[in-house]
Amino acid sequence: MRSESSKQKLRLIWLQGVTCNGNTHSFLNLSYLPQLLSRYEIVYHPSLPSSSTQDKIYTLKEACDVFVFEGAYDPLMRRCDVLLSDLLEHYGTQADFIISAGSCASFGGMFKASAPERNSGLIFDGTEQIGPLRPIYEKVINLSGCPIHPEWLGYTLSMIADGHKIQTDELHRPLELYSDLAHHGCTRNEYFEWKVDSKQFGVKEGCLYYAQGCRGPMTHASCNHILWNEVSSKTRSGSPCFGCTEPDFPRRDLFVTKTNMSIPADVPLGISKRAYLTMAGVAKTFKIKRLEGRLIDD
Amino acid sequence: MKVVVLARRLKAERKENIISAALSLFSKEGFHATTIPDIAEKVGMSVGNFYNYFSSKETLAKELILYISTYLGDRIKAINEGPLTTEEKIAAIVTMYFKIAEERPEMIEYFLRIYLSNREVFRDGCEGIICVSSFVTEMMIFFDDGVSSGDLRDQDFFSAFGLFMGYLGGMVFLFGEKILPEPLNTYEAPISDNIYNALRVI
Amino acid sequence: MTRELIDQIEGEASIFFDMKEEKVDFATIAFPHFRGMESILEGKPAMDALVITPRVCGICGHAHLMASARALEAAYADANEAVTLTPKAEAIRELTLILEMIQNHFKWIYLVIMPELARLTGSEAPLTPLKGAFAASLATKALAGFAGQWPHSSYMLPGGVTCDITHLERIKAEGHIDELISFFEKESLGTTLDEFLTFESCRDFNAYDSDISRIESGLIQANMHQIGFASDQFIVLGDHAFTHPAKVLKTRQYPVHEKHVSTVASYSPSQKSYARNAQYKGKYFETGPFSRAMSTNVPLIKNMHRRFKDSAYSRVMARVFETGILLERAKEMVGSLTLSDDSLIVPRDIRKISGKGVGIVEAPRGPLIHRVEMREGIIMDYEIITPTQWNIGSSIKEDPTPAQLAMMGKNTSKQEALFIFRTFDVCSVCTTH
Repeated sequence: MRSESSKQKLRLIWLQGVTCNGNTHSFLNLSYLPQLLSRYEIVYHPSLPSSSTQDKIYTLKEACDVFVFEGAYDPLMRRCDVLLSDLLEHYGTQADFIISAGSCASFGGMFKASAPERNSGLIFDGTEQIGPLRPIYEKVINLSGCPIHPEWLGYTLSMIADGHKIQTDELHRPLELYSDLAHHGCTRNEYFEWKVDSKQFGVKEGCLYYAQGCRGPMTHASCNHILWNEVSSKTRSGSPCFGCTEPDFPRRDLFVTKTNMSIPADVPLGISKRAYLTMAGVAKTFKIKRLEGRLIDD
Repeated sequence: MKVVVLARRLKAERKENIISAALSLFSKEGFHATTIPDIAEKVGMSVGNFYNYFSSKETLAKELILYISTYLGDRIKAINEGPLTTEEKIAAIVTMYFKIAEERPEMIEYFLRIYLSNREVFRDGCEGIICVSSFVTEMMIFFDDGVSSGDLRDQDFFSAFGLFMGYLGGMVFLFGEKILPEPLNTYEAPISDNIYNALRVI
Repeated sequence: MTRELIDQIEGEASIFFDMKEEKVDFATIAFPHFRGMESILEGKPAMDALVITPRVCGICGHAHLMASARALEAAYADANEAVTLTPKAEAIRELTLILEMIQNHFKWIYLVIMPELARLTGSEAPLTPLKGAFAASLATKALAGFAGQWPHSSYMLPGGVTCDITHLERIKAEGHIDELISFFEKESLGTTLDEFLTFESCRDFNAYDSDISRIESGLIQANMHQIGFASDQFIVLGDHAFTHPAKVLKTRQYPVHEKHVSTVASYSPSQKSYARNAQYKGKYFETGPFSRAMSTNVPLIKNMHRRFKDSAYSRVMARVFETGILLERAKEMVGSLTLSDDSLIVPRDIRKISGKGVGIVEAPRGPLIHRVEMREGIIMDYEIITPTQWNIGSSIKEDPTPAQLAMMGKNTSKQEALFIFRTFDVCSVCTTH
């Protein structure tokens, strides 16, 4: 742990595997980016001015305290001619902290599908621990999400700079960011409580869990209380949560709720299906007039 | 302390007795023809004491349907949680249902003749599936398991539920009317087959 | 031959230079990474494309979302189930597309062009890259008010948009756009946006001491008005309120049709490249803000083109100026949104739809084309053609692509060529998807 008196800036290197750069761009949205960056020396970053050079980075001549990796790991991939495994081994071994930025680096994510037999996250392939940094897994913090939420990375880098310990769940995600479900804070919660489904997309009324594929009640993510771009979230804008922070992202048929004889195949996390169905059956019995029509008539 | 426990147990027992007596009277005589004094007499208690257990005939009627629903629900739950295949579960539910119809016909009779025919009695407090929730929930679990294990065809819940329970209800009705030429249990195998064939993945 | 590895673009590229007397004789370009987005899409339910294709690119994913939605809508039409959008849904889509472009342009100006130009001219002035990030974050804040988030929203569906905003959200978005315009005026322009948009000549920049004026003079100082010429052939394929499809040869405009767009394997003898070059009727065209300015006759850019042709200078200034045009457009649009229309007109169940469709939009770097073929709502075939495939293809010396041609020249050094390369706003992740 770093002492408060240490004036030395932490050194950060950010490299990429199989990626769309979405985590890089999401991070640039962070409202306190200048303040955060003033606490770090950016040794290398895909978009930000860096103190080192491409040549030094890829000849493995640099070192850092915090190593951020964005994108899926592909054992055959080279960055500037260097195998990812060499980059990961060098920078992963000497860094104190390793951050998997986004779901690809955490679990394989979207780009696991590019080469399912090879690609994975840094520690996890889905939930299986077979990634290249498995031997040093205790240093890795997974910030899953497609893309990463800027404030989740802001939080993690600030906690590291402050010398605070970050508690994580079994998938190495910080508890303070991932103990909530995306459902938590959803503005459609009242419709969920009374089992009023959204009759269609494009309306602010109704819950998207019953038919429109929403994974909010099954997804660890704080999207509905740490808002996106500080203003909104998927569910607030009428889109279902796709469960992008979970190891099984991307699932199939993302705009449709999987049901068995009209019964949701997946029920809210930690709730038995029996308990859920009992509660839902009772709630559905009552016709709540206020929740039936449009909230505002044009 | 011991006395209190004993008193509690006694009270539960008496309540159970009232439920049994009321079930048999309601299903034989009908809801409106049965009076509280009739029930009290059958249990062997005073009318005044009866009111210590149930505040009205309507409250008792609701309590009865909850009782039946829980009774059926518990048995289906045991089947759901057992090691059976979907096809075997259907047979087990049919067997269980017919066994109750034979051994405690008043329960099924009550459901069919009182609950379904006197909806005004149950309007307040028994809306929708509230009073039959434990039974319906277990049937949902059964269907959900059946579809997710790949045995049953995915379809609308009520279409499947109606097919299953309507069929059984109809058979018990015929049995109660003494129209069936054979004992009820001889129909178990073909009915289970029919239900499975109607619901399974084609 | 010398090789330059380019990163700190959107992804990575290699340029192989053939030098003659210290000047660039020829250059080929390789994009070494490939993710197979199109094959990921095959066999998937068609609606899933709206979640998958934005993940082609972290900086222009919203354009991919719109191209995808338009492609699916075209497939509905092909199946005789034409989908109509309300004016509100059309306007909101257009607005968020514009906001993504603005975001892109700010990052390019502050994180790419200004530092690279400073390096080239040896300027010691302090760099302000975070201005670009801050301005971009205001644009995406306004965008997210409609789309829920940026990057990687999926709020456009066949038939409209999922958001059902009230004036509350509209006013908030307008506030962010206003704040961004003030920032642009104060931090980038040194004058008002209205004044900036009246600029008609290079000389108009001289009156101000601002980031934008320094870019303009820096480009002249770096001689960028005399090098970096492509073939003076422009193409716009997306139909929008802010531009329209056209082929522009020098200054004459011709109609275009997407059916003439095809791709060919790139010529990359020195390194395996996954990129394919995009062509119109077998010819290479420049795309992006410069082309849009030519097709819509923006007086300042037409003037620069008259003086300095399609030099690197004109190309950079077109993108800078487009930032202003788009900001004004965004302000206008957010103020005039009619919210009483439906957000979405629910089309027929997509599982009943079999057909082919093409979706075209103008992305920050030019036309983005998605072609889909689906059977009963399942994707059989999906093809994506991105703007960088037009600008930065790699071909043979006798038939060079815009970027190759712009880098070649008796007066162009390797360092200058590397800057010219970035004037196209390279997106490697899109190129090889």
